[in-house]
Order: sequence, then structure tokens, then C-alpha cells
Amino acid sequence: MSGPLYLAWRYLARHPIKTAILVASIALIAFLPAGLDSLVDQSAARLTARADSTPLLVGAKGSALDLVLSGLYFESDPPTPVSWSALERVAESGLAEPIPLHLGFRARGHPIVGTSLEYFDFRGLSVAAGRLMAMLGECVVGAGVARELGVSTGDSLLSSPESVFDLAGVYPLRMRVAGILAPSYGPDDRAVFVDVKTAWVIAGLGHGHQDLRSPEAEAAVLSREGERVVANAAVVEYNEITEQNAASFHFHGDRSGHPLSAVIAVPRDEKARVLLMGRFEGGDETVQVVRPAGVMDELLDTVLTVRSYVVAAMRSVAVATLATAALVFMLSLRLRQREVETLVKIGAARGSIAVLLASEVVFVLAAAALVASVLTLAVRHFGDAAIRALLLT
Amino acid sequence: MRRLRPTPLLAAAACAIACAAAEEQSAPPRASNEDGRLSVYVVSEPLRSFAQQIGGDRVEVVFPAPPDVDPAHWSPDAETLAAYQGADLLLANGAGYASWRERATLRRRGLVNTSSGFADRLIEISGSPTHQHGPAGEHSHAETAFTTWLDPRLAAEQARAVSAALERERPEYAEEFQARLGSLEAELAALDARLEQATAGIGAAPILFSHPVYAYFERRYALNGRSLHWEPDAHPDAAAWAELDALLEAHPARLILWEAEPLAQTRGELAARGVRSVVFAPGGNRAPDGESWLERMNANAARLEAVP
Repeated sequence: MSGPLYLAWRYLARHPIKTAILVASIALIAFLPAGLDSLVDQSAARLTARADSTPLLVGAKGSALDLVLSGLYFESDPPTPVSWSALERVAESGLAEPIPLHLGFRARGHPIVGTSLEYFDFRGLSVAAGRLMAMLGECVVGAGVARELGVSTGDSLLSSPESVFDLAGVYPLRMRVAGILAPSYGPDDRAVFVDVKTAWVIAGLGHGHQDLRSPEAEAAVLSREGERVVANAAVVEYNEITEQNAASFHFHGDRSGHPLSAVIAVPRDEKARVLLMGRFEGGDETVQVVRPAGVMDELLDTVLTVRSYVVAAMRSVAVATLATAALVFMLSLRLRQREVETLVKIGAARGSIAVLLASEVVFVLAAAALVASVLTLAVRHFGDAAIRALLLT
Repeated sequence: MRRLRPTPLLAAAACAIACAAAEEQSAPPRASNEDGRLSVYVVSEPLRSFAQQIGGDRVEVVFPAPPDVDPAHWSPDAETLAAYQGADLLLANGAGYASWRERATLRRRGLVNTSSGFADRLIEISGSPTHQHGPAGEHSHAETAFTTWLDPRLAAEQARAVSAALERERPEYAEEFQARLGSLEAELAALDARLEQATAGIGAAPILFSHPVYAYFERRYALNGRSLHWEPDAHPDAAAWAELDALLEAHPARLILWEAEPLAQTRGELAARGVRSVVFAPGGNRAPDGESWLERMNANAARLEAVP
């Protein structure tokens, strides 16, 4: 190492705290916009990936964003329900494969998603332990739910009442855990999946009770008039579906009127997608078909606008930081005036002194650039894993 | 383009990272057998017979109900349900037959209700009790007669539904399936003609059915029947005989159709009342002796033909 470079190095080494502060502040201000950019890009990619992979969502007319956030991420309140007939319309069109979604109930804080087996195929979800639900009253829990609640196959999970004060409302249902899903690092990890019919049982649209013709139920019968039997509230209704009482479970009313929160429609091809969207257009139509990718793009456009403001603000801070660093160097130079004079007196050339001082600045800037690059690369490489870990906990 | 509402927008922005999800689009393959045959699960013997006859060696037909139970009231265990879930096709009878389907989680794709084409011709069983309890209001568990195949013309419609489902899954063998369907339709038409002739002698004369499972048979051949709830392997008690005697006064039947051979004592006591017992097996489940469903139906017809 030549003389001026060696002296510059020794100077920085002699003042480690000052050097470290300079390197850290310059590195951070260079890293933050790039790192934030990278993190937001990765998060946005994940967010849009779920929307991109969900071709169409059918729901009640209203906020498309609420429908998408509920139907895709099980967040926010469930949207206004549509009837099962909306799913039948999709199926009968022959244009798309419908997958029902019933949302709104929770089990120990986790959303209960009433759906069909096709949902697991569609999302590419696999079972890590046990099996998919097969009978009324069974549930399959996401990896995050299993980890957080410590449940395993064969355990029970109780649905939460809609309201603790709603004494006449929906009874909780004890659900048997049939299987646990492998981690998918998304909303499915935090959900409890049941057959949509089980969701209807929780909603009180189906139930199992004593046979009112049996002697055991006699005490609960208020009157019998031919084939008409009126029972009081003492009739035993089951809050758990077992092999013994499963046959007594039944649904009331017309199936086509039973509620769904949304329907995922998987069209055969692009033409079918457009045709299906056209089928649900019309002023008196109570059902809407949305393209989740379009809705999320709209949302992300807004989020990315906010990001650009943040990045602009950071750039201003960067300019201020660099100006401060320049000031630090200039003040440092003034404080070192006597040191410079000493160098001149012992015969150092003015050029060598300039090289010495410039080298100190270059060393600091180079070190800061190196640290910023390492941090940015780390975010690019490990940001995805960090987000996954964050999502699963 | 709709404007975004601020409240969900903020919520969405807040959960933008938390909601992000990895997509692993590796949908499991369909469950065709290793040899490429279509995996077809059914809920009754007639459907097993139709699917096997139409599909030939292009399909593997599975009917998991044990031979000693009535498939209408049987419930598969979880393991069997998982097998049903994995099938390429699940042929259901509809009309409320195999009610376990209502309580099971099955794939919509591949599920074929073979009686949906004549839903408007299904027979509702009267007398289902109406009851009321709790806030749900008055309701009844109305039932539908489900042995649709006892009307061979409806059975032929079910066979056509089976063929259509097979053709949808394996269009490359459509001609083959159609040819076999043609043969089956001819056999069913011959059975229908034979039963029509065999029941012509009964006409509008009163007859009895040991169980209310002959509704479609009764309607098809314009019979005048009343149903009991008698089991072939159990001797009716005194109350049941008294009910029968009362019924015979209003409905002087000289013939009773049984699902299976009744006890000799029952047969004798009925004969003493002038009521002849004839076995007419609905054939919902496999025959213990390996007889095919069509053979059983033709045997039923032969027994009816033997009635003087």
C-alpha cells in the first residue's frame, strides 16, 4: 500500500467510532430505498400470485375489494351472501368449474372456510397428516392453526358462537380434525376448512335431533296432529356429529337458497371466462363476477403510489445525509488543519496530502456501498423466506 | 373502473404483506387406475351392472357396500369415503337413495345423478311427519321413493346417463359405449315387455307389497297396491296380523310381493288368508349367488308369470 493510502487507512482505523457511524449512516440510506423496493415487490408478487391464480370470483353485488379480500384471504367481514343457486348457475353454464366458499364463522379465532374438495385441488394444497374431510362435522386445519392451537388429527375444535349474548342464536359445533394441511405460506395456513354443508349446520340450516316419533323424545313433544308434530326446545339437538347420530342430520328448506359468501369460478378457457362474465352483467343482476387480479392490481397501484412517496422521502433524507457526511468531512478537515501543516513541514507534497484525504472519503464510501450491497442482496435472497416465516408464525 | 373505498384499502394495505401467499399449483392427478381404466364408484347394484355392461374393460366399477346390507341405508366408513372421493366417476341413483351422500364430502366433478333427467317423475312418499321445534319453523323430512330402476323405462334412462358420463370422461371410446348401451337398452325393453305381460293378469286387482319399495313398479304397470312394513326374515306379531286383516277387508289382496323369501310360517299364514307370496327382489344389492341384476329382474318376471 502506498504512503497516502496507508496513512488514510490508519487514520480511519484510529477513529473507529466516527468511521463506523459514517459508514453505517451512508450504507443505510443507500440500502433502505432499494431494500424497501425489493421487499414491497416480493410482497406484491405474493399478493398478486393468489389473485392471479384465482380466475373469477362470484359474489353479491357490492364492493369488489371486500369480496376479493374475503374470498381470497379470508380477511375482513364476510360479504353479503349469495345463494347456492349462483353456484348452480355457474355449473349449469358449463363454462366454469364452481368452488363454493362459506365464510363468517371462526374456531378459536381462526376463520372457518366452508368449501368443497375441489378447493384443495385448485389451490394445490396437500395433507401433511390425516386426510381431507369426508363426513359432515369433520374439519381440516391449516399448518399455522395446527401449530398455534396444538391440535392434531382426531382432536376436536369448537366453532365459536356468533355472539356470547345471542342465546337463541347459532349453536357451536364440535368438529373433528380429520387432517392437517402442509404449509402453503398463505391464508390457507390460518384457516379451518369444512365441507360447506358443515358450515350450514353451524349456521343452523341443518341439524340433527332426536327422532320425534321415538319414545325418548316424547317429553319434548307439545302436540301431535296426524303427521304434524310440535316439539318444544327440550328436544335434544346434537352439537357434535358422530357415527351414531350422523343419520339424524338433515337440512331444511330448498338447497338452492342456502347461503354462500362467494364462489370461485374456474373457467375452461379465456373465451369461457369472458362469456361467463357477460352472463352476470345486467342492471337487475344481484350477483357480480370479478377478476381478482384486476381488483388487486387496482389496490396495488394505490399501494405502490404510497411506496413512491416513501421512496421519494427517503431520497430526500439520503441527500440530507450525504450533505451531513460532506459537512463531517469538511469539519474534520478543518480540525485536522494542524495535521496537514505538519505533513507539509515534513516534506509531504500537496498532491499526496490531497490523495490522503480523498482516500479517506473513498474508503468510507466504498465500505458503505459494500454494506448496502450486502444488505440489499440479503433482502433479495432471504426476504421471501423471511416473509414466509413471518406468515407461518 | 370502480373507485376503491378507503376503509378496505387501508385494511388491505396493512395486511398486504401478512396476506401474501405462496402458490403451489400442483393439483393432484385424477384417479384413473394404473392400467388407464376409469375408476367408477357406484351406490347400487343396478348402476354397477349398467356401468360394467356399458364400460366393459375400459372401466373398473367398484360397489363397496357389503352384500348383506341394504345399500339404501348403508353408510360407508371414512376409508371407503376416501375411496369414493378419489374416483373418476361417482354414479349416484338420486331420489334420496344412499342418503349418506348428503352427509359426505364428495367431489362435485365426476358426481353423476343418474335420475336427474326424470326428476319431475320421481314419486314423493306421503306421510312423512311434519314437525316444528325451535326457531327453524315447521318442516318435514319428506322422502322420495328411490327404487327407480323397478320401472325398466326409468332404468334405461339411468343407463343412458351412465353412458353419457362414461363418454364424457373417455370420448375416445364413445362408439364402443354407445354400442353396448344399445344392447342394454334392448335388454331393458325386453324386460319391460315381459313384466308388462306378467302383470297384465293382475290388472287392477288389489295386491300387497311387503315394503314400500315398489312405487315405480306399481306406477309403471298400473297396479293397485298397498305397502306393509314386513321383514321377510321376521315373523309379524299379532298386531301386524290384525292390521293386515283390517287392511284385507278394505283391500282384498290375493297376492303379496316380497323383497326376499319370507319365513315358511309367514308364507303359510298368508296362504291361509288366501294371499299368495311371490318374491320380487328389487335388486339394490348384489345377489348372494352371483346372479346379475338383469338375471334377477328376469327371475322376478318369471315368478310373476307363474302366478295363475
